[in-house]
Amino acid sequence: MDVIEEIFRDQPGGDEQAMTASDEGSRVLRARLEQILDGLREDCSDVVGAIVSGVDGMAWAQRLPAGFDQNRFAAMSSALLALSDNLVKEAGEGSPRKVLIEGEGGNVFLMHAGERLLLTVFTRADSNLGMSLAHANHAVEQIARLVAKCED
Amino acid sequence: MNGIAQEKIIFTGPVGAGKTSAIAAISDAPPVRTDVACQGGERAIKATTTVAMDYSYIQLDDGRRVHLYGTPGQARFDFMWELLTRNGLGLVLLINNDHPEPLQQLDFYLDAFADFIRETGVVIGVTRMGIADRARLDDYQARLFERGQVYPVFEIDGRRGEDVRILVQALLAVLTI
Repeated sequence: MDVIEEIFRDQPGGDEQAMTASDEGSRVLRARLEQILDGLREDCSDVVGAIVSGVDGMAWAQRLPAGFDQNRFAAMSSALLALSDNLVKEAGEGSPRKVLIEGEGGNVFLMHAGERLLLTVFTRADSNLGMSLAHANHAVEQIARLVAKCED
Repeated sequence: MNGIAQEKIIFTGPVGAGKTSAIAAISDAPPVRTDVACQGGERAIKATTTVAMDYSYIQLDDGRRVHLYGTPGQARFDFMWELLTRNGLGLVLLINNDHPEPLQQLDFYLDAFADFIRETGVVIGVTRMGIADRARLDDYQARLFERGQVYPVFEIDGRRGEDVRILVQALLAVLTI
């Protein structure tokens, strides 16, 4: 209880910094996730950045453009996906799959990657939607496989 | 054409203060909830946490429908704090007395929502007072007085609909002053 009290004493908002790779396991996991994101960017030139985060809004691994705050994006993605999930379920449309946001300057995909994680992908405005999605799906599969392996 | 004015009250406060429970306790209909499993260090405090919002509504005695929105507690979701308080009537701030530094939490949230509170108003509900003795009502009132913000403070059981209703009615009363 003392350790937890320490955390809360330091951060009145009850917040925690992005998952610290304080132990070897976390560090390795983060490195593997980053590899998947690197692969995504290499395979798909339309992808300008991506982040893997927890459903609770904490950042796990990222390959984001300079100036992007991974903590803010992790939090926003979890909020958006949670609300979207609610909407889809309430509309009786089965399990939620992904959220596509079309912006003037680019697009964003948010999707579940296994039970605990989500992947957020940022693409150029003129991207080939189908292709970017296919690559994002592939990354999600890789992430889910990786996490399943880690949990064994 | 004027939009239909929506009356809404926002519940906020730190993780574990009981925002989600309070809205569920007072609502007529099952609330919209966005609870997910906590991961990492937060797991030790709570099993789940709200990542977007709670939403429900109540019918007042005079027939008005008031919408209730609960914010996430963690500061990383502060963009939701801003979004949810837009055009709100006022704030219900729940503080968990079982926290190591509840008065610090009080300061933090009063500061974080300062602009909104200035425009509208706030009532404070302290939960888990029976369980933990970190601070008493006097201490909360003293801190508010020091801050020059004299607002109603109640000890409540956040799981009891009647207690939460008292907070809402107190807020509505504060707002008409």
